[in-house]
Amino acid sequence: MTSMFRHMTTRGTPYLFLLPGLVILGALLSVPLYKVVEYSLYDNVIVEREPTFVGLDNYANLLSDSGFWSAGLNTIVFTVGSVLGHMVVGIGLALLVNADIAPRARTFFRSMLILPWIFTAVVVALNWQLLLNPFGLVNYVLQWLGLVSEPLDWLGNPDLAMWSLLLISTWRGYPFIMVSFLSGLQTVPKELYEAAEIDGAGFWHKFWHVTLPQLKPVIFGVALLDLIWTFQLFPLVWLSTGGGPGRATEVLSTLTFRLGFVDFQFAQAATVAVSILIISAAFTLLYLRNEARRL
Amino acid sequence: MSRIEIRNLVKMYGAHKALHGIDISIQPGEFCVLVGPSGCGKSTTLRMVAGLETISGGEIAIGERVVNGLRPKERGIAMVFQNYALYPSKTVYNNMAFSLQLSRMPRDEIDRRVREVAEILELTPLLDRKPGALSGGQRQRVAMGRAIVRDPEVFLFDEPLSNLDAKLRGQMRAEIKRLHQRLENTIIYVTHDQVEAMTLADRIVIMRDGRIEQQGTPDQIFHDPDTVFVAGFMGSPPMNLVECMVTPTGLKLGQNDIACATPSSLRAGDSVICGIRPDDIRPSADLPAGASITLPVNLIEQLGTEKLVHFMVGEHALIGKTGGRTSLTEGAAHPLSFDMAHAYFFDPKTEKRIR
Repeated sequence: MTSMFRHMTTRGTPYLFLLPGLVILGALLSVPLYKVVEYSLYDNVIVEREPTFVGLDNYANLLSDSGFWSAGLNTIVFTVGSVLGHMVVGIGLALLVNADIAPRARTFFRSMLILPWIFTAVVVALNWQLLLNPFGLVNYVLQWLGLVSEPLDWLGNPDLAMWSLLLISTWRGYPFIMVSFLSGLQTVPKELYEAAEIDGAGFWHKFWHVTLPQLKPVIFGVALLDLIWTFQLFPLVWLSTGGGPGRATEVLSTLTFRLGFVDFQFAQAATVAVSILIISAAFTLLYLRNEARRL
Repeated sequence: MSRIEIRNLVKMYGAHKALHGIDISIQPGEFCVLVGPSGCGKSTTLRMVAGLETISGGEIAIGERVVNGLRPKERGIAMVFQNYALYPSKTVYNNMAFSLQLSRMPRDEIDRRVREVAEILELTPLLDRKPGALSGGQRQRVAMGRAIVRDPEVFLFDEPLSNLDAKLRGQMRAEIKRLHQRLENTIIYVTHDQVEAMTLADRIVIMRDGRIEQQGTPDQIFHDPDTVFVAGFMGSPPMNLVECMVTPTGLKLGQNDIACATPSSLRAGDSVICGIRPDDIRPSADLPAGASITLPVNLIEQLGTEKLVHFMVGEHALIGKTGGRTSLTEGAAHPLSFDMAHAYFFDPKTEKRIR
């Protein structure tokens, strides 16, 4: 009897220690999650005391709503564009700051290039709004160089807004990728580059045949992670363009916010949120499977 | 097949001088081994020939061309690295074909060459594998294959066998030797292993602290060392090196007099370092002609075909040898015979040989 008790306590003790954390985390995660799914099945939630159960009507309406589809398309453009931007800029800069230059200069550039990451989205958005303003620095420089004849409204022009947003998002997001690749680059054995050099490889051949294959696991993992983050990114988009002009940069996350806290259609907002959740969950599963394979 | 001329080669790392003017002249088809302890500059020299390190001073010529300013791929060299440096994402075939692909050789010519070399090195069944799925010895052969397919003027080997276990190292050593006999390329081979140096080399260059200590054939290096360092470096167990006093009749070793001929430049009362290999100190029964002294034997190591006999002369610990079947007792005194005809004498100050 005592031995059984002791067995139970020794086996159970770790879980007992985990319990408080698990309860808090569980409550914080599962309650809102449950609530959002529940809201999406009702009409007039929160606004009315007794909302009506409508089943999957909200989803059916959403699928026939052109606003949802255009936001979905924008989300794809924004996500893919941002991730590509992060990758290209991140790899390029990682290669540069991994170069064999004076250690002090290297430390300086490495620290400077991480800066975009440490600003909050508000600061980033406001700064870029100032820079991209028709009377801002970017237009001034472009005019001075003679590249444009009159100031462009980068964030206010529906044809330019998405490109500008991608620029901002790339600037904001590349440091994480750069740091990940930098650590990846440092694990590539120097002898491989030397062997490639003796084999007659130039810069691009070395990049293509040595660097990229060695970084492949990192690239795949980091790209998926970035995809998950960017797919549901809200503050930067909302603060930079607010989804505008019109609906030119409306993404699913800003659509959710607009439906909920501007139009007070909480059921519809919950429905969009659940759609984001489903897609993000799919990406996450992919990511976890990839990580598990690496282990 | 090209000759290699290294003239007054200097390497600076900042203010630190790693190589102090190295001169080596390697004949076409010669197998030259650079050997020395860690940090002696042997790898640096090799990497400068390869073009992986800049040249701070002096000149390197391969064939008739001075290659100082040329990039590695323009030097007509191929290199085998210590840890193989195979491309992990490429198959054995593509590892070997890579340099040929880069040089835009026709595909069927590449295929012919890779398969031919794979056949020589017995790599044919492994061509579709990736390096991760190979054993150490197989990787080593792929690394050699990658060098051979290019048919370079010069092969550079940077401690290629040091990551292998002892048995495999012996096999690969023989394989490299056979390969050299077959291909007849000029080879520079870096190692810290004196057995590799002795067995492989046509010419051994012994380096120490960025300078050449001695160069010559294995026979010259082993039997005619110029300095105390060379004498002590080559041979296992190493040569016994003992400081002793010159007497009118020979040497005073500890409290014992040994009758022998000494170089004419030495006077009685001079101090000298006497070097004598363990093979030349044997129990008196084995070697009746030598100078015999009875000394206490304190340790015997049985190696099988022979035994190492450790004994003390004064405060000097010396090693002699005897056959594996000779029975000696540890702790007892035995008459030991020194074959002084094969003794070497060195100046204690300059550590140079006195002939």
